Amino acid sequence: MKADFENILKLLDNKIARRPSAYDLFSKEMISTFLRAFDEEAKVVWVSYYAFPMELLWAFDVVPFDFEIACNTLPTASGGNGSSIMMSAEKEGYSRDICSFYRLVLGAHIEGILPRGDLFLTSSYYCNGKAKTNEIIARSHGKESILLDVPNEISASSIRYVVTQLREIAARLENLTGETLDLDKFRQIIRHSNKARSSYQKVNALMKEKPCPWDGSRAGPLGISGSLFWGSPIREEINQMLIREMEGRISGGKTYPETYRILWFPWVPVQPTNIFKTLRESHANVVMAESARVWWDELDEGDPFEALALKALQNYLVGTAENRVRDIVGLAEDYEVNGAIHFSTPACIHENGSLSLVSDALKEKGIPLLDLEGDMTDERNYSPEQTMHKVTTFLEVLS
Amino acid sequence: MASNNDGSQGEKIGWICDYVPEELIMAAGMEPVRLEGQMENVKEADSYLFSNVCPYVKHILEAGLNRETEDLAGIIFTNSCDGMRRLHDLWNHYVGSPFMHMLEIPKHRDEKGLHYFREQLEHLKRELERFTGKEISSQGLKGAVSLLNDRRGRLMDLFERQKQEEPPYRGSELLDLCLEETTRPKEETARIIQEMGGRPSNALSTNPRPRPVRILVTGNVLDKPNLFRIIESAGAEVVAFDTCLGLRHYTDPVETEADPISSLARRYLLRPPCNRMPGLNEKIERMRQLSRDYTVDGVIQSRVKFCDYALLESPVLENFAKNRDLPFLSLENDYLWADEARMKTRVEAFLEMIRESD
Repeated sequence: MKADFENILKLLDNKIARRPSAYDLFSKEMISTFLRAFDEEAKVVWVSYYAFPMELLWAFDVVPFDFEIACNTLPTASGGNGSSIMMSAEKEGYSRDICSFYRLVLGAHIEGILPRGDLFLTSSYYCNGKAKTNEIIARSHGKESILLDVPNEISASSIRYVVTQLREIAARLENLTGETLDLDKFRQIIRHSNKARSSYQKVNALMKEKPCPWDGSRAGPLGISGSLFWGSPIREEINQMLIREMEGRISGGKTYPETYRILWFPWVPVQPTNIFKTLRESHANVVMAESARVWWDELDEGDPFEALALKALQNYLVGTAENRVRDIVGLAEDYEVNGAIHFSTPACIHENGSLSLVSDALKEKGIPLLDLEGDMTDERNYSPEQTMHKVTTFLEVLS
Repeated sequence: MASNNDGSQGEKIGWICDYVPEELIMAAGMEPVRLEGQMENVKEADSYLFSNVCPYVKHILEAGLNRETEDLAGIIFTNSCDGMRRLHDLWNHYVGSPFMHMLEIPKHRDEKGLHYFREQLEHLKRELERFTGKEISSQGLKGAVSLLNDRRGRLMDLFERQKQEEPPYRGSELLDLCLEETTRPKEETARIIQEMGGRPSNALSTNPRPRPVRILVTGNVLDKPNLFRIIESAGAEVVAFDTCLGLRHYTDPVETEADPISSLARRYLLRPPCNRMPGLNEKIERMRQLSRDYTVDGVIQSRVKFCDYALLESPVLENFAKNRDLPFLSLENDYLWADEARMKTRVEAFLEMIRESD
């Protein structure tokens, strides 16, 4: 795994040297973080970037390692052979009904290619599988998995419950690093996060331009994996670079031709697919992804723990589907989309379990929805031909 | 139907996950009823849920869509898992009930979790009061606690007797009792529990007969008798079952001295954890302890398909059992146990393996 990341980093360095881009900068910074997790001296904290208020981790001298995103970077790097690693888990009894993300992680764990974890943090959202996988791996290292349990409702009671847990996690981080939480530094991190949140809103506003000045299929991964950098000044740097790129495209008339505007949902396949090429060739631009939305309020630096608790509770995949449906319809209207494409990955019940509600709500607004059944990362569950057929039929419907 | 203080009959409130305290429903003058899924193949629910969603969830939704739950005044959902959360959403939109409540169940079984769960139970109490227009009194709640504690005690006594060399009950009998106890009015099953309690210890004995293979069944939702019948028809006995409706459901009484809501929170949250809870080591230890207490020859894990928690925990439990020379078989079902013939072959082979190793 380490060698794979080193190779990816070299490629990204060369790419950035030739032509810098915000997305490559984001990828480079994330891969560099993964690589730092292999340092002997590093205090490595396993965590899910997209389902944890990362600002808390930036307050300590630790290396956050997202076991899911790191493992799922490998199939991308190697041209789509995630299943070869998953099979190591399947041989140990982990069923193919388990989400491919976790089979990949467990396979990588069994193969011994993951960096060690000094602290195993996880959260109850989004899904059942993540926390359980984290617990299984932590246990096999003789360590405890520390869970941030985020309820499905927002109330004074649930905020208190999450705040208590965040404070306990801070104490664990203090114990791990030997540092005491510096409140001034913590508040500075909250300010970084708020600043980047504001510029991210500008990024999202620019995506409303017609034609759209950026590739929304990248907005999804930036929304999910890019959660690593909330609280780090790097996130602001990435956002500002992205804004300059988008404004440059708009003023230079260098946007992609646009006949159709498409809304994407959270999951973008990790394995190579022909989906986005087909869309691009038909001038169908993905103009927004659900995961790219700024769903949380500005953080109150006066009470960072409560602010982060609220951020976790406000996550777009926490809470009732009713809220999610309302927000998706809002996105479809704001971005004036012609259609929506949902990529289903098996076992992602928490997300695809509300698709019928989403589909009905969009239908009421006259927005067709295509559900592409595939798999984020297990190429055995993905058929390029079937997908191509579905996408082209959908584009015919749009026309 | 439950009797209210004024003598009227209480309406039924459905529950799905056994983290819902039935005591609160009873104290509200209503009758708690565990929801069973529709007993035929799913048709309607497939239009709303993907094929790989927990069939228990799907069959419940099917029952709702087919208007088979209209005798219920309400349902209490729980934040048990991804499937249950989505069931709540879909029910809310496509089925609807006069009373609907989502009970949050914290995953932390410590003071902060207890505090939050207590507040959740207070919230549920207020919602039930609002719905019925009647206050749930502390006395009424204590009465319900006392009644269910007595019930738990009697059922645990039956399970306790199963530890004997000659277990007095068939596992299928006990399962039927647990199913009836959670789906019928409490007073109707009291007599059956009493009768079973009076049965002689050697009731199953057919002298002379070899000692039957003793099986512990663990797992999640198991509300169909198919597995037990397969095991019993193959000459083995299910001496205990630790499922959502088995030992785990009846163990540990509610403390009666303290504030009843706090006591309910403690009892429901702190009892042995199910699949959805963290605590692999505790679950492994419980399986080991139960295997020892009931002197079992093997463990059969029953899990409903597509349960992420069970799918992920299963290899860990199996590995533990293998390292302890404890025969272990993991069987997944589609809730209806439609592929019974295949299950039968696997169970028979498993029992044969145990007999040969003796």
